[in-house]
Amino acid sequence: MIYLNQIFIMVTRLVMFGLVLSLLLSLMSCKSTLEVEGNFPTPVINIIPLNVGIIYEEQFRSYRYIEKNEERNGWEIGIGKSQVKLFNTVLGAMFKSVVVTESEKMITNISADVPNTSMDTSIDLYFKPKVEEFQYNVPDETDINMFEVWIKYNMKVYDGQGQLIADWIQTAYGKTPTAFFKSQERALNEAMIIALRDIGAALSLRFIHIPEINIWLKQKQSLSQIRKHYKNHMSQAELITVLLANNSLNLGYL
Amino acid sequence: MDFKQTTQLIYFLLYVYFIPGCTTVIVDEVKHQASTLNIKESIVVIGRRSGSDYETEPELISCIGSVLGQGENGINVIPENDFVDRLYPWFEARTAPTHIKGLHRLISYDKIAEIIDDYNVHYIVWVDGNTEKTRGSGSISCGISTTGVACFGFGTWDNSAEYEASIWNYRTRTFVGKISSVAEGTSYMPAFVVPIPLIAPVQADACKAMGKQLQNFFK
Repeated sequence: MIYLNQIFIMVTRLVMFGLVLSLLLSLMSCKSTLEVEGNFPTPVINIIPLNVGIIYEEQFRSYRYIEKNEERNGWEIGIGKSQVKLFNTVLGAMFKSVVVTESEKMITNISADVPNTSMDTSIDLYFKPKVEEFQYNVPDETDINMFEVWIKYNMKVYDGQGQLIADWIQTAYGKTPTAFFKSQERALNEAMIIALRDIGAALSLRFIHIPEINIWLKQKQSLSQIRKHYKNHMSQAELITVLLANNSLNLGYL
Repeated sequence: MDFKQTTQLIYFLLYVYFIPGCTTVIVDEVKHQASTLNIKESIVVIGRRSGSDYETEPELISCIGSVLGQGENGINVIPENDFVDRLYPWFEARTAPTHIKGLHRLISYDKIAEIIDDYNVHYIVWVDGNTEKTRGSGSISCGISTTGVACFGFGTWDNSAEYEASIWNYRTRTFVGKISSVAEGTSYMPAFVVPIPLIAPVQADACKAMGKQLQNFFK
């Protein structure tokens, strides 16, 4: 009986030691990993009658934010897949047709940014998003009980010949309150999805109001109207004269 | 201690463990116009998310929706997520109309008006506010040893839930009225070996009060 009691005490102590050790180990390892996942609705907007090629660079497709500040918890946040999903959904609803282009195959030797002119003549615009900066806040770091996310995007738009039309910065912001029984990962994921929805909303509603794009669209519209009107009645030389008079000559369209 | 006494003690401990703290709720209503809702019509309850240092909690919105749908006077409520997703990107934090004029502009776009008509929406209810901890005091310390875990101490904190609902009539494009629900409560947590949380359900009470008042609003 004494022998059995000793075994029981030993086993209990071993179990308790294991529990305490695992608790200490879990407290020591503060690294959290999050792969952002979510679905994005299709925007309810008017379709812009253009064929668009999207250029996602590998850095954009597999974008991961790794916290390097030793004073903060070591978060590693993967947003590449989700942001590609968001841009595919939003741009797919914005334009008549959208193709995803492999950037490596599109790049010329002249500039790393400009798509190759000989690739696809049916494409009117090329769209290239890039993550410039990423920031986040967790509730412990601020006075408010919220997870916050900021993403700064650089958007570049080229015409079908690879000429840069517009280059602008668009910021995305998302926040979500903490809740009982909600894990940090889930809360941060929600804030990320809200931020991505925010960039989708800004892009779909602001795109045609970007001054450079607006001018380009007007030029394209007037050009196509002039071409439609004069094409059957004029020679090529006469057409060029009319286009020059309208300040809308772009040899690429002839 | 016999079996009966043991059972009674367990019941008492369970009761003490789950007993809620006390909450005070104040509800106010301002009504500018008559508001009636036919059986086939719906309302949508949406949270305002434009505040810089707070956010109307999604669980509060779904709680109000479920309270509105209960009982004999149950109202058909469109889930916030369904509505906002289907009308993306027009009801996001930065794009949602903040005034009735904004709604006018929005529904001049046929596609949006069609979707809202498809839901048979008569009223849009915008809920703004949040629940926050206003005060906290006391301390509880827990220790772990080979004999087990034990906590000792006492903690108390106050929570305040303040929400305001603005009701818009989608059919007449007018502002109908406002309902506010303010709940305050104190929670306690005495700990003698085991912590016993006596939580004041401030947000849940504000939600119930707001939901019931909204039900009466549409009678």
